This record gives sequence, C-alpha cells and structure tokens, in this order.
Amino acid sequence: MVNAIFILVIGLGAAFLLGFLRDKRKLAYVVTLAALVSMAWIAARWLLFFAVDGGARTEIFTAGTLPPFAINLHLGIAEAALMLLVILCGLFSAIYMQNTLMRLGRRMMSVLLVFVMSLCGIILTRDVFNLFVFFELAVIATAGLILLCEDKRTFAAGFKYLIISQIVSILLLVGIIFAYHASGSLNIDDMAAMSSGTLKGVGSLAFFLMLMAIMTEAKPFPANGWALDIYESAHPAFSALFSAAMAGAAAVYAIDKLLLIGASQWLPVVTAIGLLSFVAANLLALVQTNDRRTLGYSSVGQVGLILVVIGQRDILGEHYLYIVGGILLSHAVAKAGLYWLSGLLSQRKLTDWSALRGHPLLIFAFVSFVAMLTGLPPFPSFYAKWDLVMLLAAENRLWILALILIATLLEAGYLFRWFGYIIKREKETDKQILSLASHKLAVVLSTAVISWGLAYLWGELSAHGNLLYALPLLFALSFLLLDQLPARIKNSLSIAGMVAYFMVSYPTYDPLQLIFGAIFLLGSSVILLASYHVSGRRVGFYPSALLMFAGLTLLIVAKDAFHFFAAWEFLTIGSYFLILRGKHSEPHALSYVIFSLGGAFLILAGFALAAQGISPFPLESLAQVAKPIAPWVFLLLAIGFMTKTAVIGLHIWLPGAHAEAETDVSPMVSGILLKAGLFGLMVLLMNMGKQSLYGVELTYVMLWMGALSAFLGNLMAVFQEDAKRLLAYSSIGQMGYALFGLALMNQLGWLMALMFVINHYIYKSMLFLSIGGIAKRTGTRDMYKMGGLIALMPLSFIAVLIGIIAVSGVPPLSGFGGRWIFYNAILESEYRLPMMLIFISGPIAFLYLFRLIHTIFLGQLKDEHRQIKEAPFWILLPQMIYVVALMIFAVVPGLAMRHVDAYLSPFFEGQGLNWEGFTITSHYGYWSPVSIMIVVAVIFATLFAWLLFVNRKAQKVKQFNIVYSAERPFRPETTHFAWNFFAPYRKALGFLMQPYVTRFWETMMDLLHSIADLSRRFYTGNGQTYGIQLLAFVVIVYLFKMEF
Amino acid sequence: MVYVAMVTGFILILMGLYGALTNSNILRMIVAFSVANTGVNIVLVAVGYIDGRTAPILDAAVPVAEAAVRIIDPVPQALVLTAIVIGLGVTTLMLAYAYKLYEIKGTLDIAQFSELKW
Amino acid sequence: MQFEWIQIPYALLTLFIVLNFGLIMNAFVAKIGARVGRRHGIPIYQNYLDLIKNYGLRSSITHGMMFYLGPVFRLTGGVGLIMFVPTIYGSLMFSNFSFSGDLILALYFIFFGTLGMALGAGESGHPHAAIGISRGLSQVTMAELPLALAIFSIALQYQTLSVTEIVAAQQGGIQNWTLFTNPLAVAAAMLSFLGSVMRPPFDVVLAPQEIPIGPPTEYHSSYLALMQTNRVIYPIAKMVIFMNLFYGGADNWLVFFLKIFLIYMFAVFVGVVFPRFRVEQSIRWFLIWAVPIGVLAVVLV
Repeated sequence: MVNAIFILVIGLGAAFLLGFLRDKRKLAYVVTLAALVSMAWIAARWLLFFAVDGGARTEIFTAGTLPPFAINLHLGIAEAALMLLVILCGLFSAIYMQNTLMRLGRRMMSVLLVFVMSLCGIILTRDVFNLFVFFELAVIATAGLILLCEDKRTFAAGFKYLIISQIVSILLLVGIIFAYHASGSLNIDDMAAMSSGTLKGVGSLAFFLMLMAIMTEAKPFPANGWALDIYESAHPAFSALFSAAMAGAAAVYAIDKLLLIGASQWLPVVTAIGLLSFVAANLLALVQTNDRRTLGYSSVGQVGLILVVIGQRDILGEHYLYIVGGILLSHAVAKAGLYWLSGLLSQRKLTDWSALRGHPLLIFAFVSFVAMLTGLPPFPSFYAKWDLVMLLAAENRLWILALILIATLLEAGYLFRWFGYIIKREKETDKQILSLASHKLAVVLSTAVISWGLAYLWGELSAHGNLLYALPLLFALSFLLLDQLPARIKNSLSIAGMVAYFMVSYPTYDPLQLIFGAIFLLGSSVILLASYHVSGRRVGFYPSALLMFAGLTLLIVAKDAFHFFAAWEFLTIGSYFLILRGKHSEPHALSYVIFSLGGAFLILAGFALAAQGISPFPLESLAQVAKPIAPWVFLLLAIGFMTKTAVIGLHIWLPGAHAEAETDVSPMVSGILLKAGLFGLMVLLMNMGKQSLYGVELTYVMLWMGALSAFLGNLMAVFQEDAKRLLAYSSIGQMGYALFGLALMNQLGWLMALMFVINHYIYKSMLFLSIGGIAKRTGTRDMYKMGGLIALMPLSFIAVLIGIIAVSGVPPLSGFGGRWIFYNAILESEYRLPMMLIFISGPIAFLYLFRLIHTIFLGQLKDEHRQIKEAPFWILLPQMIYVVALMIFAVVPGLAMRHVDAYLSPFFEGQGLNWEGFTITSHYGYWSPVSIMIVVAVIFATLFAWLLFVNRKAQKVKQFNIVYSAERPFRPETTHFAWNFFAPYRKALGFLMQPYVTRFWETMMDLLHSIADLSRRFYTGNGQTYGIQLLAFVVIVYLFKMEF
Repeated sequence: MVYVAMVTGFILILMGLYGALTNSNILRMIVAFSVANTGVNIVLVAVGYIDGRTAPILDAAVPVAEAAVRIIDPVPQALVLTAIVIGLGVTTLMLAYAYKLYEIKGTLDIAQFSELKW
Repeated sequence: MQFEWIQIPYALLTLFIVLNFGLIMNAFVAKIGARVGRRHGIPIYQNYLDLIKNYGLRSSITHGMMFYLGPVFRLTGGVGLIMFVPTIYGSLMFSNFSFSGDLILALYFIFFGTLGMALGAGESGHPHAAIGISRGLSQVTMAELPLALAIFSIALQYQTLSVTEIVAAQQGGIQNWTLFTNPLAVAAAMLSFLGSVMRPPFDVVLAPQEIPIGPPTEYHSSYLALMQTNRVIYPIAKMVIFMNLFYGGADNWLVFFLKIFLIYMFAVFVGVVFPRFRVEQSIRWFLIWAVPIGVLAVVLV
C-alpha cells in the first residue's frame, strides 16, 4: 500500500514540476490529470483497505519524530473517503475545465493541484498549526482559481474572500497560540486527551476562536456573503470544488476534528450554527433568480445540515459516519453535478434552464441531483435523514427535527420550482443557450452515475435493506433504459408487468390489501389502456407512471415504517413527474409536490416520534405507542395522510394538479393516487384507534374535517366552469366522505369508506377519461363552450350518464350502496352533528353533476363543433369497461365487500353486515340491490317501450325548433344556458366560497418570500460589511455560548 | 515585559481590524491588515516568551543539556516564521487583486465593488 | 319478506288506486284554490280529460334520445317510489316491493325521476328548461336537508330504518305518532315538504302561472302525459312516506285517503296564503327556519 503522504507529495511535486513545462500546455495538462488520477488511486486503495478489508486506522509520522514534536497525519476510513471525494472532484473539474486550463496554462494547473493537495492536507493533518497552513494554502489557491472565470465581477468576489481570510487567519492564529499556551501541544489528539479543565478560561476562548475561524470556512449564515458572491461569479467547475470539496468536505471535517478538543459542550454551538444556516440559507434561496447563486445558498444550507449532524454526534453513536457520510456525499455529488451542469448553459437565469428540455439524459441527471439534495429515496441522504430523524426523536430533540424538516421543505420548494422551469418554461429558440462539449457532458453524466452508485452503496449499508432491490421499483427504473421504444410497446409492457405482478402477489394479500392492490395494479392497467391513444415515444411518461405505481404497490405490502415511508416518497415523486407533464401544470405540480412533501415530512416525524429509536419499527407497533406521545403521533400521521387525500384546508393543490394533467394522467392521480392517503389512514386508525389530545377526541375532529371536505368540495365543484376542475373538486368531496367513514371508527363506517374507494376509482376514472376525450376533441375544458354533444359523442355521453348516476348515489347504481351503509354507520355512531354536512353535500352533488352532463351534452350544439367525432377508441374502451364494472358492482357489491367485512370485524366493536343471499341486512335495515335493479329496470323498460311505440313516427327536429318567447333563436351561444349555471345558488351561498384557504396559503408564501427578500439585503455586496458581519457573528455566538 | 508585548500586539490587532473595516480605500485596508498581522505575530511571540530566559538557539552559551530550563519556548517562534511567510503571500495576493480591481473600474473604493450581492 | 308473483298484480292495484285518488284530489284542491280566489274552478273530472287527451295525442316531434328518456325516467321515479314503500300497514297485499330496501332507498330514489327529467328537458335545448332545472336543483338542496335531518332523527328514535317497523312502533293510539313523540322532527320534515310540492311560495321552478318556463317547457302530447301522470303519483308517493313516518301510517284505504289529503292540504294552505320566493330567498328561508329545527330534532332525540 502506498503511503498516503504521497497524495500530498504527488500534488505538490506535480505542481512544482509544472513550473518546468513552459510552452508545453498539453503535456502540463496530462501531468495534472495524471497527478490527480494517481492521488485518487492512492486514496481509493486506502478506502478499499478500510472498507473492504476492515483495516485499522493508521498514523503517518513526519520528520522522523513522534507528535507533538512533529506533524502527524491520521488516516482512517473517513479521511480516505473524503480525500477520494476531494480528489475526484478536482479531477472532474480539471477535465471539465480542459479548455480554460489549456488557455490559462500551467500556472493555473499547478494552482489547482495545490488547492486539491491542501484540501487533502486539511483532511489528513492532526496538527492545528498545520491545519492553519493548509487552510492558508487553500485560500491562496482559491484566490488564484477564482481568476479562472472571465467574469470581471469575480475579482471583487476574490478580494472579499481575501478580506475574510485575513480576519480568519487572525482569529485562528490567536486561537492556536493560546490553545498551545494552555495545553502545551499543537496536536489535536493531545489537546483532546487533556482533561477538559485545561480548556477553561483562556483555553476555552482560544478553542472558540479556532472553532469560529474554521467554521467561517464552512460559510455559515450569516457570515457568508463573500462565499455567495464567489459561488455566483466563479467558474462553475471551481464553484463545484469550492462547495463540494472545500466547504462540504474539508472544512466540515476540520470542524469535526477540532471538536475532539472542545468535546461535548461545544456540540450545541455547532448544531445551532448549522441549523441557522440550514434554515436561513434555504429561505433566502427562495427569492433567487440566478442559478449559481441559488446553488450557493443551497450549498450553505447543506453544509449547515452537515454541521447539525456533527453537532448531534453525541446521540448518533455508531450511526454517525453512516448519517454524516450519507448527507455529505449526497451534497457533494449533487452540488458538484449541478454546478457542472450549470456550466453547459450560457445564461444565468433559472428559467433559462429550459434549454435542457429535449435532452432526457441531462434532465435525468438534474432530477437525480435534486432528489439527492432533498433526501428522496433511494439516495444516501434519504437513508441518512431517516436514521437522523429517528435518533433525534428518540432523544427528544424535537426542535432540531422540526427545523430540519422545515428547511428541507423550503429547499425542495425552490429546487422543484426550478425543475418546473426546465420542463415547462418557453425555450428561447433564437439563442443558443446550451453548449454540449463532450468532455463536460461526460463529467456531468458520470456524476449522475456516481449518484446512483452511491444510492446502491448506501442501500447495501443500510440496516433496513436496499430499496433498489424492490421488484416494482426496478421495473419502473428499467423503463428509463427502454425510453427510446415507441409508447405503445412500452404501454403493453407496463400493462403486462403490472397484471403479472398482481397475479403473482395477490394470494399473499389480505382482503384489505387485495382491494387496494387490485385498484393500484389492475385498476391502473385499465387506465393505461387509454394511453394507447398516444403515439410517438412519450419520453418520461412510463418511468414516472410506473414509479408512482411501484410506490403504491410497495406501500400496501410495507411491513415497517421505513419501507412504508420510502414507498410513500416514491409514489409522491412519480406522481409529481406525471402531473408536471400537463401543458399548464407548472404551478400546480409545484404546489402538489410541496404539499405532498410537507405531508411526507409530517409522516416521517410521526413515525420517528412513535418509534423512539426502535428500528425497524413495524407498523403494528403503532398500537403500542404510549400515552403522552401517542396523540401527537396520531396527529402528525393523520395530517400527513390527509394532505394526500386533500382534506379541506390542505386541498388547494388538488384542483389544478388534477385538472391540468394529461387526459390519461388525471384518472391515475385522481382515481388511484388519492387512495394512497386513505390506505395510510386505515393503517393508522387500525393500529392506533381513537386518540384524544387535551380532551379533544382526534377522530371526532377528523369526522368534522371529512364532513367539511365533503360539503365544501361539492359546493366548490358547483361553481366551476372548467369540467376537469369540477371533477377535481368533486374528488375533494368524495374523499371527504371516505374520510368521514373512516373517522366514524365503526365497521360500517369503514365499509362505507371502502365502498367509496372502489366506487370513486371506477366512476372518477371513467369521468375523467370521458371529459378528457371530449376536451381533446373540442379543444376546451370550459363547459359553457360546449353543448349538444350527445348526438356526436354518444358513448362518452353514456359513460358520463352512468358515472353521474353512480356518483350521486341514486339507486339502482352502486353509489347508493355507499349511502345506505353511511346511514347505517351513523346510526351506530355516538356523534350526531357532523352528519348534517354530509346530508347537504349529497344534494349539492346533484348540482354539479347535472351541470356536467347538461352543459356538455345537452342544450345547443355550437357551430364549431358540428364536425367533431367521438372520442378516440382507446379512450372509450376503458370507459366501457368501467360501465360494465359499475353495473356488476351495483348488483353484487358483496363480491368484493363481504370479505373485507369479515376481515374488519375483529378490529371494531360494532356489527358488520349480513351478506347472505341477495339481500344485505344490517342491524337497522335492509337493501336488496338485485330486486331494486329488477324493479327499476322493469318499470323503466315498460314505460320506454310504450313511449317508443306511441311516438314511433316522431322525427328529430332541427336544433332551434323550440317555443321561445315569440322569437326564433338562431345562435347557440345565446340559447345555451350554461355559463354561471347556478347563479341563484351563488347569490344564496356564495359567501361560503370565499377562497380563505387559498388566501391563507398564498399569504404564507408571500410572507416567506418577503422575509427572504428583505433579509437577503443584509448581504450588501460590500467586502467590509462582510468583514464586520463576520466579527459580529463571532462576538454574538460567544455571548450566546456564555449565556447558556 | 511580556504583558507590554502582549498588550501591544492586541492593540495592533484591534487597530488593524478597525482600520481595515473602516477605511474604504483598498490599499489602506491592505496596510491595515498588515498592521493586524504584525500584531498577531507579536502576540504569538509574547505567548512563547518566558521571563528571564534566553533565545532558543543552541550554541556555546546554551548547552544542550541545560536547554530545557534556560531557553524560551521555541515553538511559537517557529510558528511566527511560518505565519510571516504566509502573511506575506496573502498580502501580495491582495495587492495583485487591488491592481486588477483598479484596472477594471479605475477606483480603489471597496464600496464600488458590490455588483454581487443579495 | 320474499318475492311472489302475486305481488305484481297487487302492486298494480295499488298503483291504480293511488292514480285515481291523486287525479281527484288534485282537481279538488284546484277547485278549493279557485274558490278561495272567488273563481269557479275546474270540474272535478278535468284531470281525467287532460290526461286522456294527452295520452291520445300523437306527436311527430322529438329532440333526441334523452328527450325520450326524460319522461320515462320521471315516471319510473314516481312509480318506483310507490313500489318501494308499503302503502297500507299490516296488509301484505299493499306492501308492494318494499322488501327491496328500506327508508334510505326511498329517500334516494326520490332523485331518480328528478335527475332523469332534468336530462330530458336539457336535451330539448330550451334555455327556459335549463333555467328551471337550475332553480329547481338549487332549491332542492336546501329543502331536502331538514327532511334528511328529520329522518335521521326518527331513525335514531326508533333505532331502525325499516318503514314497516317505524309504522309498527306508532300503533296503539294517536299519542304514539311521531307527530307527538318527536314533534321537532315532524316540524322540520313538514317545512321541507313545502319545498317539494311545487306550490307557492316555493314554485318559482315551474312558475306555472305566467310563462311557459321550467323543465316541461318543450314537452307535449304523450311525453307530457307521462309527466302529468307522475305529477299525480309522485307527491302521493312522497306523502305516503310522510304518513308512514310521522302520522302513524294507515291500516286501510280510508284512513290513507284522509291522511294524505290532510297532509297535502297543509301545503295548499301555505300556498294560497304566501307569495312566491325567489330561489335564493327560499334557500335562505330553509337555512334559517327549517334547518335549525332539524338540527334540534337530531340533537334532542
């Protein structure tokens, strides 16, 4: 094994060697690369030695003398890994900057080598003064490398950095000398070995100065204006190094080392600074428009998060390396990747990134990096964050946990907004924004590959098992490779895969899982039939859709909290990508993903609180959560799940997201995805039962929430002009019913909820498909622009007709079953008032349902629609399947329900139903779907036959042949009564329609943005101000430390 | 004696910092930082000084056997040497930057170089 | 209770009786209304003539498929409603097909005809029809709420959803009627009843006196005949439910006629005294006066 000191030797030696290579730029470049490669090779060998062979940490002594009389280097797995990271980062940047380096010549190359070498030195050394030297080397090299960029503003940024580094070196030197004075050694391990008493008084102050000096190199908020200026203006490849290697690896590792001296009493300080940085940087990033500055803020935030983890290492124990490593590597790889990516673009606005569109590989890289930064599965940061949150909750450090999650949400907010720009913003075609040099491309793409490699590695190391082994997930990911195939082939493959998976796995499902599994796998296959109508390749659709279905599939079989949560994240991301595909869905997809991730974080917090460190935490153990925390766990989980079911108050993402989605996506996200939230609630309620908080029974609150959702969802649907929005609001109402049923906490209530699960899937999928087909043909979704389409689109009409009868709950169709069970359920319940809202929401549903069918199909046909055809066959086919399914389910609901009824009975006190024969009986009443159907059908058929016979000669008259106030109308637009159809209703109840909730969330958003916009003015851009801020920061931290 | 040096060192540091953070002329800032660096160096040396001992140079006056009790701590002095070298490097770099900045804008007022902000 | 073939003629007999009773009662009520207004009014057999005439007319006009289906839906709703509730308590002969479902079935089946007719009227393409439907649906949402509350209240009171069992519980004297055991529920239901019989002050949906407005605008001849038939049957079907739930049911046809007539006269009395509400006014009226009574009924039962 090569001695690790050769890493430093090679770096320094090659840098000197370059001095002799005047006028031989190519050779110099080769030497640079060779040096970096050999350094990387040494680091990699050591890493393998530690990781695979389980080698012991080694000390490297210099000058033939033992410490503290000479400098010693220390090499363990952490050092090896970080050095490999730093060197690879340097190597990639060197490759990336090929042209720039060749232009600027050997001097710049040697500066780069010195920079990488000094970072390795920072990582290796155990001597504080040596640390100072390496840091100063890094500063000088930085000041040199900043000049790589042609942007003139970088000079100012570099000078600001020099000002700061002067102050830092003053602090550091003073700190070092007094620490030496107090301890008599410069060796970190020696200082650490001294009893903590040594570092009292002057020694403590000395340590503080050292810590703050090194901390400044990690660019904590608010002493970091200079760093942001560098991030914004420097060459992206250098920014990558500066963020990933210097701040994100070397500086934080130096802090970690230094903390050996300060011991546990300084950990809270580091935590506090880290938290402040993480929250503030992500908040300020919200209002950035420059891509590199945004990344800079994100860097500051991520390094802050790493500091938090370092500060929490007293409770992380053996997991420390795994957690900090997961977060650190994720940040480094993702941030470097993003900076390298930004170098491909010549424009600096976030919206200019739309130039990436049409380059699926680059988008894939971007998505991987963003997912890594936000801690989404299967990336290392996901595993790390999970473990971190679990341990924080177990130690009751809830404030830290909450702030971490809030800041992560903020970060996800601006990163996903950015992604939305890429996918949705207009491309400026006249400008050549994107330049794809092959070496730069290679760097970006191999970074993306590395990110997935790390995902695999962290999965392997995880105690919870590797998420990448899940078959449905692999199936979804494999479509990334198949994306070049025609859409129809991919569609067939998807359907075959999902049906096959269901056939294989359904024998292992219990009845509850079976219902959800059938909807998630078979149900989505039926919807996918509609996707055959799209020709071409449909890039990105299948990986997203299958990722969502994979998440759903994994959700129902998840045994423990970790897998449940991972599945939840998968389905969230998949559905987000799906929703984003809609033409105008950028803002809606964003609010969807923010609400969903917010909900997901609540779920995460809930699980963490419940687990109290137990790992793995089986879902059944929710039942054993003890009293004081149980209601809080319940609350967190319930709100998290209710975000997905779009309960009123958390619903504002739904209408836009569902309405703007593509024709076949709307039924997927409405008919199928919403059920995930219900499944979560079922798991929760089944295990935790009724909980009360401060004397308020939480299930009772849920009852009200469900009833309010049903009422307001339906009411808002009444006033929509857009057909898909109407259906979307109706979903809010329907989910409200289901939530209400669950919250009743009796067996009948649950049956009713399951009835709604099945029914809502069938009729909402059907309606969304019909409306989607119509919108495709007419080119609009505004109902008042349609009218009289019944003759032209009869099959769509039949689907909508059957659909609305079913939704409204009128016998003989299946919706009635839900209503009947509802009445029986509420009779068993001890509550009486919330039912009132459900009573009224039923009739209100008539309003929007009638409007849906009337304004589209009945009334007057518009001139521009006279030639349109029936919807495409593939969109109609699933609708007809649904019509048949609805009929069957209406006549024999027992087929599906009786098993669930039996399965549920042990969980509840109340009685179920009696499914014997054709009549379904409860304790209170009875219901015979078959005889209802026969009686209605016979009467109906008789009367119809008679009327047909009587009026057999009737002819269909022309459009305007009506009795109309002594005039003959001639314009469909003025004769079709459709716009603002329920005007009197709006007059009477419109006051309930004030968009309070939307306004609330908008105000919250505005507030966040205003705060961010105001507080970022704090970074005046003046180097002196930055210096004063740094000093003030140091003083304030000291005062705080003294206070507590 | 030690205290005089120590106090002088700290006063120089504070003076330097004050100067660097209040003068808006870049060259004055650099000078001020040099003053502060000198102060740091004095502090470094002062910390290593032990009353009544001689310089840590092993020659005829200070035999090796007695060195441990007769000389002052040599480590800070070694540190000072390194610090001076590094300080020189950084100061040079700052001067080079100052030159470049003047070339770009024709001014040395630090407040003029604030396009990058927020 | 199981199905036997003999129930079909029995059910048809019920239908026949109800139809004739309805025709006569409607004419009688119209006559009373006319006399109150110092007019002579129609002859008592007028409704028969109208109906026979309309059934006899042949139309050669249709506006499309749903236009056909509208009246069919409508009358199916009315006839079905009669079929799903027992008319005469204790009589196997006149309990119809009530084995198909309980009170909830009846409550929801009410909407079947409404929905169907609205669809048919919609296809006629006449804006007045659509306006009428818009008004009617708007009004019915709030008018039905007190009834739903009242039904919930008495279901809680009797702990059953079966109409037969509710009637059974009210036997043995007038003091056992729901009217006296749960007066709040009955009050709420009766106020709701006003909103569903298309009489003033809640008849803006049809506005029968002034202009040809409302869902039936375009209907004529045999289409209209079917709807007229329904207008006779449907209120009675609804009143049968009221009678069974609140007024002790009826154990023979005489009691049945009397009770139905009195229930109907309640709406008539209110109708001749009060002027017409606009839709938003009637919604507010139900919200302010009828709904709170219903809520009280639910809470206090």
